[in-house]
Amino acid sequence: MISPFQIAYKNLLRDRVRTLLTLGGIMLASWVLVSLLGFNRGYERALDHDIDNMGYQLMVMAKGCPYEAATLMLQGGTGLRYIERSMVDSISREPEVEQATPILMQAYFDPNKGESGGIAGYFGVEAATFPAMKLFYRFRKGGWFQNENAAEVVMGFEAAELEQREVGDMTLVPEKNVQLKVVGILERTGTQDDGTIFVPLKTLQNISETDKITTIGIRVKKGADVAGLEGRLYQLPNVQVVSFSQVKQTIMTLVSTTRVMVFSIAVIALLIAMAGVANTVLMSVVERLQEIGVLKTMGAMPSDIFLLVWTETLILCTGGGIAGVGLAFAFARGADALARRVLPYAPKGGLVEIDLKLALLTIGVVGVVGLLSGAYPAWKAGRVRPLETIRSAV
Amino acid sequence: MKEQAVAISGAPGKGFFQALFLLFLMAVPAWAATGCDLNSPDRDVPRLFPESTRYRSNYVSLRADQLRSVVARLGESFRVLYDPLNVPYTIYEIYNGSEKVGYIHGVNQKGQFGGIQVFVALDLAGRIKSFYIQKMSGQWAGKFRDTEFGRRFLGISLKDFDSFDPVSGKGSGRLAKIRNPAPEMETDFYGVLRALKKNLILMDELVYSTKRQNP
Repeated sequence: MISPFQIAYKNLLRDRVRTLLTLGGIMLASWVLVSLLGFNRGYERALDHDIDNMGYQLMVMAKGCPYEAATLMLQGGTGLRYIERSMVDSISREPEVEQATPILMQAYFDPNKGESGGIAGYFGVEAATFPAMKLFYRFRKGGWFQNENAAEVVMGFEAAELEQREVGDMTLVPEKNVQLKVVGILERTGTQDDGTIFVPLKTLQNISETDKITTIGIRVKKGADVAGLEGRLYQLPNVQVVSFSQVKQTIMTLVSTTRVMVFSIAVIALLIAMAGVANTVLMSVVERLQEIGVLKTMGAMPSDIFLLVWTETLILCTGGGIAGVGLAFAFARGADALARRVLPYAPKGGLVEIDLKLALLTIGVVGVVGLLSGAYPAWKAGRVRPLETIRSAV
Repeated sequence: MKEQAVAISGAPGKGFFQALFLLFLMAVPAWAATGCDLNSPDRDVPRLFPESTRYRSNYVSLRADQLRSVVARLGESFRVLYDPLNVPYTIYEIYNGSEKVGYIHGVNQKGQFGGIQVFVALDLAGRIKSFYIQKMSGQWAGKFRDTEFGRRFLGISLKDFDSFDPVSGKGSGRLAKIRNPAPEMETDFYGVLRALKKNLILMDELVYSTKRQNP
């Protein structure tokens, strides 16, 4: 005996072009929806990962440093503002602070990079405190500096790859022409540190002829009052505090505008797909009024007809939903690349995270939405009066 | 960075600058992977190939048999001197209108203080039309990047390496006549010559030999 599902399936095959177009609409809507849900999850997770990998929750720097970020890039670090090294000790004494580490960022102009020269950046870090902040670092080869005055460097994975350096090789600080020996190369971390060249703090201070620093990284004790500490740090003269939790909130706010816009597009796409489904099924019902009338005269109840038409809707929506999720899986990398192009800031790692749970959720949502949109045509089909429809065909 | 600059002209709050700072921290050292690309192809291609009107970038990798052939041609025992070899390569196909007129190709080569990137612009016969060291580290690196040094390589082709060995520095012909512009950086001088030989052999394997087989 033929099942209602088989009847519904055969009905859909009657007008293949119409069915395919409707399927296409649902597929595209599902694709957008699952990609957006995946992005929603993936972006926040990637941002958390980036911020966790900074190793510290707070940074203290001289006032105006955000402007100097651009200065460092454009002018090779000239005009950088500094803070006293002694500030690290006073911050370390705060009860909320687990550890504080001084950092000196320096950039030198290398005339032999590209056609018009480029900037070579260096991070002066303290061997005694900085590695403890970056416990996730693994060395591909070698290790940290021998001492705080060593003429040595530790290179991030990509920096070493670009400069073709191995442990034991020499590097040269442009402008200053100081030779430093590579003592360690880090494994890839997927963070900005991959492209960083670390130098012992005092060595970089000597090269730069300064005894100051540019930044202090602060790791806070678990459960400590970060806001309270931040407030007290703001009382320090001529410094500003960057809290990464605030940074995350700010980035999320910047991104949320884009997210709302794209979500709106997804909702509109879903509504259009719903209208398409309703229209397709309604047209199919109108074309088959006589058949439905015959079915009813043979004993089919309104609920049987309703279920039959609803099954058609379910097949359309589930099929389109599955195809859309398949597309989303297939083009997840493309969606990732697109998001990176349009977003103001894209963290490292996958921005679009689609898993089975999300895929099933999307198919479920599309199925429910489809059933809702198919309810009216199914109800209309169930209410067909058999004699009227048969008579109209004569 | 453009987006950030535009946003600054608005009315930024504290949070915005914090975000900007983080963006900077995360963005500045994001260097490229091992492949050797022109830093600014739109600007570099017309400079290296003045008659070009457009270019197309092709990304290629050596097949196993091609890698074996390259290693054999460079000398198995000297492979370490020519590393890295098994990396993705970018070949810029140069066009004048619809007509292909040549190629630009660069390689990475280990130098004394950092990576050396040697680019050549080649005509369809494989002769050098322009020679460009995009990156080199060292106090006297500027002497190698000088246009006068680059001019000495014009017209050279892979055939010139038949009579000159860039590992021992011995041989005859045009290459042997090229003098080291910075005697303080002898390692890098031979590094540049080895990079050039590697570049030309790679182009022969990836482009010219294929063309000979399928004219």
